[in-house]
Amino acid sequence: MAPHPPEAAQPSVIVEPERSTSTSTVAQHTWDVVVWNDPVTPMSVVVVVFRRIFGYSTGRCTQLMLRVHHEGRAVVWSGRRERAEEYCVRVQVAGLRCTIEVTA
Amino acid sequence: MARLFTRQRGAGGGILVHLNELGRSLVLDTAQRVAAAERGEEPAWAALLASPVDPSRADDPIVTLGRQRDMASNAELVVLTVAEDHLSDAEAWAWLSTLQVALRGLADEHAVTDDDALSAAPPDVRERVQSLQTLLFALASCL
Repeated sequence: MAPHPPEAAQPSVIVEPERSTSTSTVAQHTWDVVVWNDPVTPMSVVVVVFRRIFGYSTGRCTQLMLRVHHEGRAVVWSGRRERAEEYCVRVQVAGLRCTIEVTA
Repeated sequence: MARLFTRQRGAGGGILVHLNELGRSLVLDTAQRVAAAERGEEPAWAALLASPVDPSRADDPIVTLGRQRDMASNAELVVLTVAEDHLSDAEAWAWLSTLQVALRGLADEHAVTDDDALSAAPPDVRERVQSLQTLLFALASCL
């Protein structure tokens, strides 16, 4: 296995700034955790799940729950993909419909 | 109406369970069904249990396994504690999560997509959905 070549041996033409920029942009995307409405889940359960998993106040959880109820979905958290994925799984384990998506 | 669960104040904390035998047997049966679903023995619930995290691509198998493990652990904890009169907060959370997973599984299985569909569902399904909702509502009020 060849080691990395020394810095001095790297001609500047092999650097690909566009690709590098693109990779950086992908890594910096913000991801939304989206909770979807369903017809059977009691509203109070949604509030409890949000409070326990995200640590929000009861008032904020209630607002988010109502948004899910009236609009069919709500973004409940945004941030790095790994964290969004972790939150999404926790919400799914609690029995709610949840996905992640890149912030529009 | 008698309370099904109450939050215990004081040093011990946790939740007191006031369910009768019928209620406990419903919880046990529900938890056993969720555990069976995690073992692949409830095909009707497969879509629910395999819900993608990111619908635009296949889930990381490690994420999928983690979710299955957590759901199964919760269901098993419910089975172990179903006869208890006192639940810790963690045990009560496992009850809530497991009952909620079962409620959604039941709704998906019988295409209960709105109130009209619930009204039109067979009486046994309707009764089960409403029983689970009652338990969840009561438990959520204590957590």
